[in-house]
Amino acid sequence: MRTLLLTSVLAFAATPVFAQTLFLDDATVVDAKGEKSTADLIVTDGVIIQQAATLNAPGGASSVEGAWVTSGLFAPMSSLGLTDIGSGGPGNDAASEDSLTNVSERVADSFNPRSIHIDNVRQSGITHALVAPRSGSGSIFAGTGAIVSLTGKFDSVLISDAFVMVELGETGTRRAGGSRAAAMAQLRAAIDDADGFFKRYADSPDGGDILSRQDALAFNRATRGDIPLVVRVDRAADIMRVIDIKKDNRSLDIIIVGAAEAWEVADEIAANNVRVILDPLHNLPETFESVGARLDNVMFLKNAGVDFAFSNLGALGVTKPATLAQHAGGAVVEGLSWADAFASISAIPASWFGVEDETTVVWDGDPLEVTSAPISMSINGAPQSMTSRQKALRDRYNPTNTDKRPHKYR
Amino acid sequence: MKTFLPLILPLSVLAACQAQDTPQTTSDEATVAFPSTYTPQPSADVVLRNAKIIDGVSNEIREGDVLISGGKIGFVGAGDVPAGTDEIDVEGRFVTPGIIDIHSHLGNYPSPGVTAHGDGNEVTSPITSEVSAEHGVWPQDPGFDEALQGGVTTLHILPGSANLFGGRGVTLRNMPSRTVQGMKFPDAPYTLKMACGENPKRVYGSKGGPGSRMGNVSGYRKNWIKATQYKAKRDKGGDYDRDLQLETLADVLDGKILIQMHCYRADEMIQILDIAKEFDYKVTTFHHAVEAYKIAPELAASDTCAAMWADWGAFKMESFDYINENVPFVHAAGACAMIHSDDQNNIQRLNQEVAKTWADGNRAGLNITKAEAWKWLSTNPAKALGILDETGTLEAGKRADIVIWEGDPFSTYGRPSKVMLDGAVLFDRETGLKPKSDFRLGYADFTEASK
Repeated sequence: MRTLLLTSVLAFAATPVFAQTLFLDDATVVDAKGEKSTADLIVTDGVIIQQAATLNAPGGASSVEGAWVTSGLFAPMSSLGLTDIGSGGPGNDAASEDSLTNVSERVADSFNPRSIHIDNVRQSGITHALVAPRSGSGSIFAGTGAIVSLTGKFDSVLISDAFVMVELGETGTRRAGGSRAAAMAQLRAAIDDADGFFKRYADSPDGGDILSRQDALAFNRATRGDIPLVVRVDRAADIMRVIDIKKDNRSLDIIIVGAAEAWEVADEIAANNVRVILDPLHNLPETFESVGARLDNVMFLKNAGVDFAFSNLGALGVTKPATLAQHAGGAVVEGLSWADAFASISAIPASWFGVEDETTVVWDGDPLEVTSAPISMSINGAPQSMTSRQKALRDRYNPTNTDKRPHKYR
Repeated sequence: MKTFLPLILPLSVLAACQAQDTPQTTSDEATVAFPSTYTPQPSADVVLRNAKIIDGVSNEIREGDVLISGGKIGFVGAGDVPAGTDEIDVEGRFVTPGIIDIHSHLGNYPSPGVTAHGDGNEVTSPITSEVSAEHGVWPQDPGFDEALQGGVTTLHILPGSANLFGGRGVTLRNMPSRTVQGMKFPDAPYTLKMACGENPKRVYGSKGGPGSRMGNVSGYRKNWIKATQYKAKRDKGGDYDRDLQLETLADVLDGKILIQMHCYRADEMIQILDIAKEFDYKVTTFHHAVEAYKIAPELAASDTCAAMWADWGAFKMESFDYINENVPFVHAAGACAMIHSDDQNNIQRLNQEVAKTWADGNRAGLNITKAEAWKWLSTNPAKALGILDETGTLEAGKRADIVIWEGDPFSTYGRPSKVMLDGAVLFDRETGLKPKSDFRLGYADFTEASK
């Protein structure tokens, strides 16, 4: 349990003041593999200035005990920047229901770095996110996803064509017209269109079996293996079909998302170098394709040598990544090492997409603890604001607020 | 993790499940529809030694004992232990009241979530106070079993929020059972689910209304007028045509049924409190209450509870202003604050939801102890459901609804080790004792074989 010098921490945590120097006494420092060591650090605006076994507190610095220092978290599945509110209004770009295109739709074109949810979510220590589209009617292909940093700046799309997103399982079945067979037929036909792009579309834009020319071109990067194909799938039998696709198309770089029943076929997943994004807290048979959902799914994957990352797929709302660390902590309860759990929401997904940004997050305790929160952050040496719309609302209505003017004037 | 002696369960316990459907005989049985057949499982008299006790009243006892006798709490802290009582050294573990979730759709939106299982919303009219959630509850929802393993001993199942008057809610013991009557909390008051805001106007906007918040309010008032007239007829005692829809509303006016109202926005909650004044009824709890923090003093002044999430929001416009400190801010104003799940996953970890919002509140400058914050998990939900005299705290004479924890309940890494209803252990992580829904059979066997 952390013991904080609350007065000094609160003084700056509640206000967006920059040029704040912290002296971290006996901080827990976590490396890229999730291994821990102890050190003293001097941190200014989220940037580590000095780190050694023992340091003296510089004058004017706020002293913090019990702090943890880690890299930023990477949310491997989100709809960040695509929606302002989940339902009941325009401005929800998570899926296109009536478009003429599919794979060639890039979420990077929808992504709004100024979304207030970027600020809100960054307050939970997340510095990077995968942003994925969802499929619309008529196609199992949701589009092309992006990797973003949570700076809120207009250059925060790091990879605009990061992966191609496909939905199989019950959703894909619905999109394809009503059966798993239809969804798989669509996927195989699309792979053939993309693989044979130069031959099929040389003479006519309608030369493909199922994809239009621009969609086949967009998919071609995934079928060549230049970018991953991210496939949403839960049922073990469906995962085996995806593995069959991989066996037939060795160049494909497949990441499966959901994977509720992955434990049943963990060895096959590992043997075919398929990576997995799962929710470690998924344990209910919420659908017939996830009747095998169980909390120790992750341990089967770990023991089989599968490369995995964590998401909080079951959590509600457009701010999906916010409780990422809590979900990773659930894997620790199931027996996964703390280091593996932490890496699964930071270095591992970052490495999948070659993200090498330097990030630092100073926490007031174990980042996987629900009671912990970041107190200072930086991305590539740039301090990150610790304010957000949520915190502005909090401060206006805080019962400790001594401002007695009407709320709209506070 | 150190192990400790498992509670010894009589072999008859599981067999006794077969005999639980004996109706309770009460004096007005003839008038009670769907009476509870809940019967506690047999339990041993036992004293839990060396417990770290959070009692739900406001106290944390660092090292104390809890006596369980005849399924009730004998004493908390220290007291005389009758000869022959079993003794269990819990070795410093947290011992807390069982968790109570005031807002669940387990059973009426069960897993698997197929269309055929959608029994939580009677989406045929904005006024359906004649329906009751208990008639849509499937007791085989595997979610009940998982919630039990998360320490939930009592839960309140509500109709959904499509309608202005959605129907009656029912309070259930989280007792594995074949029937909903076998779970019904004996003599717990019914509640009436009502809904504000976006849902009713969205659902009925193209089906005759309400199509706006204005229509919502006129819909409430029109029906309270009818209910007032119905109640006057009923109070006269002569002949009158029984009307299930108005009966529920009249019972609200009589104070027999508690209003649990889905409402997000601060301004709307205040409008509702005015309607309650106009027709002289009480809103017991606002549910979701994402903006409760904006009107916390008004909630305190009107003795209205708020059931909230820790950090959910922005899934629609009326939840846009969510903050992570909602629960502690409402608490700090002296109002009755509590956590709720409204979700089959979060109900398994309500302690973590409280831990999050508790820590965020203290980070914002409040100074709330764990013992105080625990009230958001059991005490205040029990109060808002009208069952606080029976459960919700560890106090002598109450039902022994108890959770013994592995680790700290205010932690990601803490989880229930044993869960008791009326002193009977229904979940025991160490012995593997846990209920298994009929739905899990076959699938579960396959799971075990694959290990």
